Amino acid sequence: MAENSPDLGGKIGYVVLGATKAEDGTRSVSYRLGGESDLPFIGMKTSLGSIPLVAFEICDDPSYWSPIVTSYTGDLVSDTPEWATAAEQQYGADLVRLYLTSTKRRGFDDFPSITKVTEEVLSGTGLPLVVEGSNEPAIDSEIFQRCGEAGQGERLLLGTAEAGRYRSVAAAAMAYNHSVVAQSPIDINLAKQLNILLREIGVKADHIMIDPYTGSLGYGFEYSYSVMERIRYAALKGDTDLAMPMIASAMDSLSVKEVREADPVIRDDIAVAWEFYAALSSAVAGASIVCVRHPKTVPLLKLAFRELWAGKKPGEF
Amino acid sequence: MTEMKTAITLGNASLKKKLNAIEGPFAYEETAYHLPVAYALTGRPVHTAQEAIEVYNLTNENPFVACESVLAFSEQGPGREPAPYTGFIGDAVLRKLGYSLVDGSILGLALVIGTPGNSDTASRICRELQEKYMLTFLAGDVVPSLSSASVKLGLEYRLIPLGSTSIHGVHFVDIITRVALMFGGVVPGDPGRLLAYANQRAKAIAIVFPGLDNEGIALVDALRLLGIPIISLGGYEGGEWTTTLPQDAVREGMERKGIKVTVTAIPIPMSCSPAFEGKSIRKEEMYVEFGGGRSPAFELLRVKPASEVTDGLIRVMGPEIESVKEGSAVPLGIIVDVAGKSMRKDFEPVLERRIHNFVNYGEGSWHVAQRDLIWVRISKDAVKNGIKIEHIGKLIATKFRIDFPDLLDAVQVTMVTDLQAVLAGKKEAEGIYEERDRRIQGMKDTDVDLFYSCTLCQTFAPNHVCIITPERPALCGAISWLDGKIAYEISPSGANQPVEKGVVIDRDKGEFEGVNRFVKKASHGEVERCSLYSIMEYPMTCCGCFECIALMLPEVNGIMVVNREYKGDTPSGMSFSTLAGTIGGGAQTPGFAGISKNYILSDRFLQDEGGIERLVWLPSLVKEELKERLVKKLNELGHPDLFEKIADETKATTLEELVAFLDEVQHPALAMKPLL
Repeated sequence: MAENSPDLGGKIGYVVLGATKAEDGTRSVSYRLGGESDLPFIGMKTSLGSIPLVAFEICDDPSYWSPIVTSYTGDLVSDTPEWATAAEQQYGADLVRLYLTSTKRRGFDDFPSITKVTEEVLSGTGLPLVVEGSNEPAIDSEIFQRCGEAGQGERLLLGTAEAGRYRSVAAAAMAYNHSVVAQSPIDINLAKQLNILLREIGVKADHIMIDPYTGSLGYGFEYSYSVMERIRYAALKGDTDLAMPMIASAMDSLSVKEVREADPVIRDDIAVAWEFYAALSSAVAGASIVCVRHPKTVPLLKLAFRELWAGKKPGEF
Repeated sequence: MTEMKTAITLGNASLKKKLNAIEGPFAYEETAYHLPVAYALTGRPVHTAQEAIEVYNLTNENPFVACESVLAFSEQGPGREPAPYTGFIGDAVLRKLGYSLVDGSILGLALVIGTPGNSDTASRICRELQEKYMLTFLAGDVVPSLSSASVKLGLEYRLIPLGSTSIHGVHFVDIITRVALMFGGVVPGDPGRLLAYANQRAKAIAIVFPGLDNEGIALVDALRLLGIPIISLGGYEGGEWTTTLPQDAVREGMERKGIKVTVTAIPIPMSCSPAFEGKSIRKEEMYVEFGGGRSPAFELLRVKPASEVTDGLIRVMGPEIESVKEGSAVPLGIIVDVAGKSMRKDFEPVLERRIHNFVNYGEGSWHVAQRDLIWVRISKDAVKNGIKIEHIGKLIATKFRIDFPDLLDAVQVTMVTDLQAVLAGKKEAEGIYEERDRRIQGMKDTDVDLFYSCTLCQTFAPNHVCIITPERPALCGAISWLDGKIAYEISPSGANQPVEKGVVIDRDKGEFEGVNRFVKKASHGEVERCSLYSIMEYPMTCCGCFECIALMLPEVNGIMVVNREYKGDTPSGMSFSTLAGTIGGGAQTPGFAGISKNYILSDRFLQDEGGIERLVWLPSLVKEELKERLVKKLNELGHPDLFEKIADETKATTLEELVAFLDEVQHPALAMKPLL
């Protein structure tokens, strides 16, 4: 395959996240993702792709978060906007991904809090924001409408659309001009099918990022890697329904046995290693955004990407 | 009676007059879309009387443009009508409404307009619209009529009173227009895209009471251009509105626009889930049973005209559960009548097979076999919890509606437990089963232009593509051409896609230009050519699910078939599992093919290699299973003795033994054209 790769012919489409003041938003930066015509490190040197971005994941109810992160980070986790500020200023992330874990509470109905926390996080950081909305299908409609409205003008990335559950998140993206994370369970055809469903409901291709679902290292990551590669090759061979940038989050990394049961003295290092290698490998497979939760993983990834991508800036090839 | 043609002419004339009377600058509040209809049609932002008249002329005196200009002018500032009237609805609220439409919490939009003779009818219609998740807009006399019946109005009740006159109905149009601009990617100044969006995507209907004034008639009649069905409750003569009785109005409108209410819950006192599918109900747990040789029983699904099917109607003909003795066997006929615009007779048997799954979804109900061989049980626990025979009907009807929302508009179920009625119904059903069998058996690849693909297995065999034809079922044996067709209609972006045959490249090999094109694309460029009727050159790829493997044995100039259940050695020197490992995973292996058992009986089986005369070895289990049909087929082909000449494991498990056997019986393959 490698020798053919310079002539694949296709190209990944673009997705823009975040809107600066000049773009009628309030972000300090916006990113234009996509545009690759090859997989990184395969084929010609010039088609390295754009340097991947690192998203730092936070949440609005830390009782549903990994104790490794909460105990390392301390009280900061109970102040969501401050946590977002730290992600930008202390950890050096490129994006913040906010999980509305409060919606996991039984019988959750404090909908105004969704608007509030989204707005506060937007004030807490100037970085483009990914918002992971509802955790319960019954309240999707209420939640996503508020996420969408609260972020109007900011070109958020909203998640997560799945084959059986995509209408509310798609509606919010369409109503308030955001993009959508389209997640399928490690299956190229289901990824394609979901993108078609999103297109049919009216979401444009340049508002979709593919999440192929990322297993953690040792727990299925190789399947994710393989499917990412296949999605990318299918797109480059001309399948426009798969020609979107990808986002990867090996979110189970912090709950696998090896990390959970690690000697407390080195537990943070083990957690960081587990996150780092999955994220790095995802980037090599073609992910434009990789997501992590441990603060110490961010600078390591940034350093690795800078070295491997020879100091390129986001959007630069 | 109002004569429509005259009314429309007069209405338009009167609107024109009103339009000419407005003056100065004006604007709707809280919108970025100016006068939305004018803006969408022409791309021109209208803010003065002069511009309004220009756009009116530019759009061939469009009544919507006239109405919105007149309203935007007259309702400025203090001209705005007091509550409950909403007047023009701003963009922010509209964005939320559009959100609910896309997200499915609102199924569609309805305009109710005119002068209801009595408020009961109006409130009944509005209640039905509310129950069916429609967002309803009201304009003119219908508003005071509803208020007088104490019907609660407002956005939170999904009943929105736009204004006191009929021309306030134009807000319904400016809403649809802005939804098209905000959500549909329609660009201002492109009336073609706007009309296409309104016709194809906007789920909107209008229900008209008698007594509409001429302006209202002109406005409502213009909705037809947007593809909005206009359901009249009478009082209008001529024209092209559909007249119905009040009780049918909502259903008629929604059906015409294809708006479907989705059903999610099954209202019976028993849990229903695929999780219960595998459970069985043993004799000691059983309260009552039907069929299974203990009593006559059958099931039948028929498509009927919509007028003959009442959605959700469940009838029990004969004794109900309370008059049935515990532990007894009772006759049963399950008759499912379905209606749907795209439902066809061909689909009947495929849907009928679903009754089996649905009954098994019930925690306390169990079903095996099909047609007049069914065997059904209901458990003691279920009966204790209040389950009746009627509820099994309800379960079937509801599951059909849930699983086939686009295919079926109405499902009614009759559960027959009366012995004489079951016997009579069974006889009739048997005639229908026979007719169906004839129809499917008679279907040839040459009768159709479309085959169907199956890429379900690409999860583990990334480049495998099954092509399913009427004469070649999927290699797993689970999906026939009809199944593929229905699966596509139910889920148009799913794993079964239509494949145009295209130009025939090789009739004997079954190679088609369209099939090659499709296979190349669906295999991500890996497979360039595919012969449907040959295993020697470019055979179909294999995933891993094949019922059988067919492979050439060049030493005997023949082809052997081995099935998955056969565990022993084969004359090829390899067992099924070794062979499967060799050919699976989406590869194309000349000389080998994964096939279904039924394909052995097809006229297309090994067509290019000379047909079934090539078959030299087949395990006895499959031979026995197919015996009746295979012997019949061989007789038809003029080979009454071939069945005995096909070896099985009792005759040969090695190549040497096979050669000896074939020589002894003088198998025709030995004298055929060399395979290689």
